[in-house]
Amino acid sequence: MAGAGLLFLVLGLGLIAWITGRARAAAFVHGDRTNLNSLPSYHGWYVALFAIVPPLLFLAVWTAIVPALQTDMVLSAPEAASLPMDGFTRASILSEARAIAEGTQTTAFQPMANKFVPLYEAAIAHYNWIAVAATLLLLFAGGAYAFTRLKPDFRARTKVERVVMAGLLVASLIAIITTIGIVASLIFETVRFFSVVSPIEFLFGANWNPQSTVTPGGDNGFGAIPLFWGTVFIGAIIAMIVAIPLGLMSAVYLTQYARPGFRKWMKPILEILAGVPTVVYGYFAALTVAPALRDFAAMLNIPGASSESALAAGVVMGVMIIPFVSSMADDSIAAVPNSMRDGSLAMGSTKSETIKKVLVPAALPGVVGGVLLAVSRAIGETMIVVMAAGLTANMTANPFASVTTVTVQIVQLLTGDQEFDSPKTLAAFALGLVLFIVTLLLNLVALRVVKRYREAYE
Amino acid sequence: MTDAPAPARRTTPTDWSSDAMQRRIAKRYAAERRFKYLGLAAVILSAAFLAFLLYVMVGNGLGGFQQTEAELTIDFPALTGGTSAAAISGENAETVVGSLDLPGVVGVAMESQYGDAGNQIFSSGAWQVVQQKLLADPQLIESEQTLWLPTSSEIDIAAKEDGPPAAERLLAMLQQKDAVQTSFNTTFLTGSDATDPAQAGIWAAFKGSLMTMFITIILAFPVGVLAALYLEEYAPKNRWTDLIEVSINNLAAVPSIIFGLLGLVVFLNWFSMPRSAAIVGGLTLALMTMPIIVIAGRNAIKSVPPSIREAALGIGASPVQVVFHHVLPLALPGILTGTIIGMARALGETAPLLLIGMRAFIPTPPDGFTDPATVLPVQIYLWSDEINRGFVEKTSAAIIVLLAFLLSMNALAIYLRNKFETRW
Repeated sequence: MAGAGLLFLVLGLGLIAWITGRARAAAFVHGDRTNLNSLPSYHGWYVALFAIVPPLLFLAVWTAIVPALQTDMVLSAPEAASLPMDGFTRASILSEARAIAEGTQTTAFQPMANKFVPLYEAAIAHYNWIAVAATLLLLFAGGAYAFTRLKPDFRARTKVERVVMAGLLVASLIAIITTIGIVASLIFETVRFFSVVSPIEFLFGANWNPQSTVTPGGDNGFGAIPLFWGTVFIGAIIAMIVAIPLGLMSAVYLTQYARPGFRKWMKPILEILAGVPTVVYGYFAALTVAPALRDFAAMLNIPGASSESALAAGVVMGVMIIPFVSSMADDSIAAVPNSMRDGSLAMGSTKSETIKKVLVPAALPGVVGGVLLAVSRAIGETMIVVMAAGLTANMTANPFASVTTVTVQIVQLLTGDQEFDSPKTLAAFALGLVLFIVTLLLNLVALRVVKRYREAYE
Repeated sequence: MTDAPAPARRTTPTDWSSDAMQRRIAKRYAAERRFKYLGLAAVILSAAFLAFLLYVMVGNGLGGFQQTEAELTIDFPALTGGTSAAAISGENAETVVGSLDLPGVVGVAMESQYGDAGNQIFSSGAWQVVQQKLLADPQLIESEQTLWLPTSSEIDIAAKEDGPPAAERLLAMLQQKDAVQTSFNTTFLTGSDATDPAQAGIWAAFKGSLMTMFITIILAFPVGVLAALYLEEYAPKNRWTDLIEVSINNLAAVPSIIFGLLGLVVFLNWFSMPRSAAIVGGLTLALMTMPIIVIAGRNAIKSVPPSIREAALGIGASPVQVVFHHVLPLALPGILTGTIIGMARALGETAPLLLIGMRAFIPTPPDGFTDPATVLPVQIYLWSDEINRGFVEKTSAAIIVLLAFLLSMNALAIYLRNKFETRW
């Protein structure tokens, strides 16, 4: 809570800085603003920015490094010699002591932690003082420096606007930072995984049965081919068999045949399908669709019918994807020039012949792009398959059997109780990296296809 | 084949009245109709699936808002040793009521009225209801009272549909005595997660959702809007801005579970932030929502006509003033619409939150952003795994609440879009 208090103090003092800066600028000119280069409020902003930006930057860095400093201080005390050498228990004792010292926890589960509570309290108090002093120092130094620079012809607006521009640039850099963060974290953990398990086994092995202990060189059950197959089977085959015809025909009907009133109502209704949370679809698939399909399969005597089937997950996922396919198809059909349609109709074709022989072929690149985007969405989809597709890695083309997917296994591997360094948890990151790369490629290809096509008629 | 001579077909116009031509035309019209009805069927099938989904959820879930209650007569003066109403009102009322051993009191009352079956009739949380009633109205403790208390989930199921035979027998016995009724289930809206479906509620998850959304919006909205302004208004056309643009478009299409992996490694492992806390969930979802806001924001900014910018520049505004005084206010409705849609998506998101540990059993609502919390979709996921049949209707009821929220957010977005849509 000290951090929040400090934050409010900085912001409050920043407000005061704004007011003093503005008042000073107003005082220069005695009410006649034409003598002032910038409006008084820009002077205020200039002082306020100088006062609060350095302390805020300092606090951001500080909160990242201070836990380590506090722990170092605790470990340098003589009591630290009694800590066990084992890294895991050591860390858990220390984190428990910290939690008690910070007041987020009241009792220690490990008696040893109690000994370190006062040490932590002292360390936290010590570094809190440093933080407060440094923050205030930075704030007053920055504010005073800016304040002394104010003059009637001071170009406050230009300076403030430069800071605003920097802020805008930083905001847009966050996207790059996030992308780098994703790639770095995935690659970092994947490299750790591949130092234990060979990439060849992972990418080309057909046996998925991950074990916590690994024997080098042997088959450790990290062959991900069954997962890739399950993902493709559900997301790119079954789901698309449902989504492409329904989505495409819906788009054709709504753009070419439907009366405006019908279209106005139906389009948002279909779009609701895309807005339903996936956990709801997953529950629906597991509760209603999967049992119905199992009974159906049992009636037909299909072997291997399971209550968690690829078909249930795939069909429900296909329904979720319909609006994506239909709105992409809708856009690309609408982008076909009317003259082509009118030409075909004038030659005596019926509407359906025009659609089948002229509009859809002309719109095909857009439709294909939309389908690729839909596939990328389907293979990255998690909750439906987690709830309806099953856990057994299974290389089967029987849609009534249970198969598992990459996303199911990521959730499965990371929500267990094993510690974070085991190859089982690291495998999830390797799967994540594969998923990231594949969806990225699909998206890039899809966007390129759509873009190239759109330019064709301009 | 027609019997008309071949040369005539070449020279005369098509004979539309010939049988063959009529048949061909009829065939083509039939194909036309088939195609049209196929399209209609696709639309109706998709809509029917939505209707069926809603029907199943509402059908299963409406029961979750109702609760079966049974009558219990408690002789307070005899069982509590004559505690006075004055003792349980005032400041330390809760401590005094806590010292009364209400679970025991209620247990004795159950046994004296229903015998051994008493425990099976009432919910194990029935005494908490008695506690609340006493705190709300201390006078109750001075005389014998007949209270309606929630039944156990078996009886509840038996009353709503087919329950286990033992529960059905107990229910029949209660019905004969006219000691059973159905009322609105306030516990479901105010309670937290519990192992007993009769006591489980969504408030903790709902509060967790609100807190997570708060973090998400205060981070994603400003950053998204500022990034959109930069890219659309100021960015020079060079490699760097291309890179930013490409990564924003890619982020919008990255599977949500990947953001979960990112949150797990970066926020939990590298920055050692607390597990399953609203702040980590909010940060993760903010990274996911930001690209959506940027893309919507850019479209809105793009639709502001250049004449407005030129007019402002012409009377001496600086580029920053042009954007913040003129372009941004005009684009704001469009940006808000995109933001609401992005937030609706974040509100329904489950997978990334599972990975950062928001799947724990959370029996109390979170009080701060670093407290363990869960969110509504994760609560739905956790309940869907429960074997107890009472959770089926709770899950569906929670889904109804979630869907109602999402649909009203989307409706608000559509309303805003229609209201503020400007044609320049």
